[in-house]
Amino acid sequence: MEYKNVLTTCVYCGAGCGLYLQVLDGEIVGVLPPKEHPITQGKLCIKGWNATSFVYHPDRLKTPLIRRGDGFEEATWEEALTLIVERLSTVKAESGPNSLAFLTSAKCTNEENYLLQKFARAVIGTNNVDHCARL
Amino acid sequence: MNTVEEVRAHVADRLSELDGVVALRRTLEGTAPYLFREGEDLSRLVLEPRYPLAPVVSLLQKRYPEARFGIVARGCDTRALVEMAKREQIDLDRLYLLGVACTAEEAGECYCADPAPDHEPWSQVVVIGTPVAGAAPNPMVAEYEKMSLEERREFWQQQFLKCIKCYGCRNICPECFCEACALEDPLWVERGVLAPPFPMYHLIRAMHMTARCVACRQCELTCPAHIPLTVLYDLIRRDVGELLGYIPGANIAVAPPLSLTLEEAPVQARSE
Amino acid sequence: MSECFEPRIVAFLCNWCSYAGADNAGIARMQSPANVLPIRVMCSGRVSPEMILRAFRSGADGVLVLGCHIGECHYISGNHRTIKRVPLVRNLLSYVGINPERLRLDWVSSAEAPKFAKVTQEFVDAVRALGPIAEEVGV
Repeated sequence: MEYKNVLTTCVYCGAGCGLYLQVLDGEIVGVLPPKEHPITQGKLCIKGWNATSFVYHPDRLKTPLIRRGDGFEEATWEEALTLIVERLSTVKAESGPNSLAFLTSAKCTNEENYLLQKFARAVIGTNNVDHCARL
Repeated sequence: MNTVEEVRAHVADRLSELDGVVALRRTLEGTAPYLFREGEDLSRLVLEPRYPLAPVVSLLQKRYPEARFGIVARGCDTRALVEMAKREQIDLDRLYLLGVACTAEEAGECYCADPAPDHEPWSQVVVIGTPVAGAAPNPMVAEYEKMSLEERREFWQQQFLKCIKCYGCRNICPECFCEACALEDPLWVERGVLAPPFPMYHLIRAMHMTARCVACRQCELTCPAHIPLTVLYDLIRRDVGELLGYIPGANIAVAPPLSLTLEEAPVQARSE
Repeated sequence: MSECFEPRIVAFLCNWCSYAGADNAGIARMQSPANVLPIRVMCSGRVSPEMILRAFRSGADGVLVLGCHIGECHYISGNHRTIKRVPLVRNLLSYVGINPERLRLDWVSSAEAPKFAKVTQEFVDAVRALGPIAEEVGV
């Protein structure tokens, strides 16, 4: 029997509001705005209040999926990564690095976004990098 | 011993007979509601900043229907608990209440008329801290009443224009527990329009707060647009008091009047 | 203020009393104003604040709630809720600057066809003097 509030940062925009996740026995049951957080100041926008709605959502991806035929099939990380390496290398060799583009996300950390653009520019050799906030 | 230390000592005493005590806990990250269990470090138990604790108790009691919890409650928390108990969201029989009296300063901040649970029906409850008299009501309410209809309209239209429809006022309210909320029904509150068209969202909320609002002030504190919601809710509370003789949170034995018949809860005064 | 302004009134009429009263007024060919849009509900207690507010938001210049007399409700105590609820809505309207005279509650039984005609005519005249709702609520 454990109830606590865990401080985290809202994933939805650049403001970076603090967010308390109300956790009951290891399960998120709600959200509270922290009153002492310098950005939140006890207030949240509608995205913040609903920031946890994707956590247990039935549509949330839990395994990599590979398109085969008309649908998606579950795969292991090993299978997925092998396929990615194979296909990206092939496309780069056949059509050149600029035929590939990379899209990052506000739900990733800054470090993950940095990694992806480094991969695009240094490994693949293209500047085609964009982010969901710009789309 | 100051108030906080007394509270900690009292909670330490009681934890052996309770499954946990709901109170505020301060960590390096900040302060938030927490369930203290037996054997845990109580030096982190604090009394502010104020969060609504009644919904936490309701959540815990529903998950653990047999457990007995305690709560460190201010006046507003106890009023919220009473109103939730009347609507079967809380079981007061399985709740141990440790009252905390607000200081005069704290009562003044909330314009609170009832800053300590030191009277009926809580007279058996231990109250830590020195109870103070109720603070004066919000002066903005009196000023507001002097305004003409046109002035009031302009005031609220300006205020409601700031609303970003975050639903914070509803989410933080200890009395709002409906799973199907009228404010999310596109029939009453048009979707995809900001600011919410005057006067639907706020007036529906105010009507749903009749005979429920216990003046905890959390809604106004949570509004990112600084809309003075409690001015409206104070007026409603006064009307409900005059028209139906009902004060939310005052007495567990008095049922909320709006859904009762006239024999059970008569109208006291006509306002036509 | 337009001289040709004719108010549009939404009237919530309870099935057993006021709607029947309105019906009887029509059968007896009594004059009652054409500005009134009747909406039949099973009981005046069914009329929620959301419905009243939505009527104003949709352009009603006035809202009339007519039910059975206290003690005569088909559902015994449905109108007990109405008599508590409507004054609160009126006060709330006045707190946000909407003229509370735009909302009226009255009791009309099925045998009171003349009262129906009288109440609606009086209400239409009163609301005409208040002007269009668009000046108070953006529609």
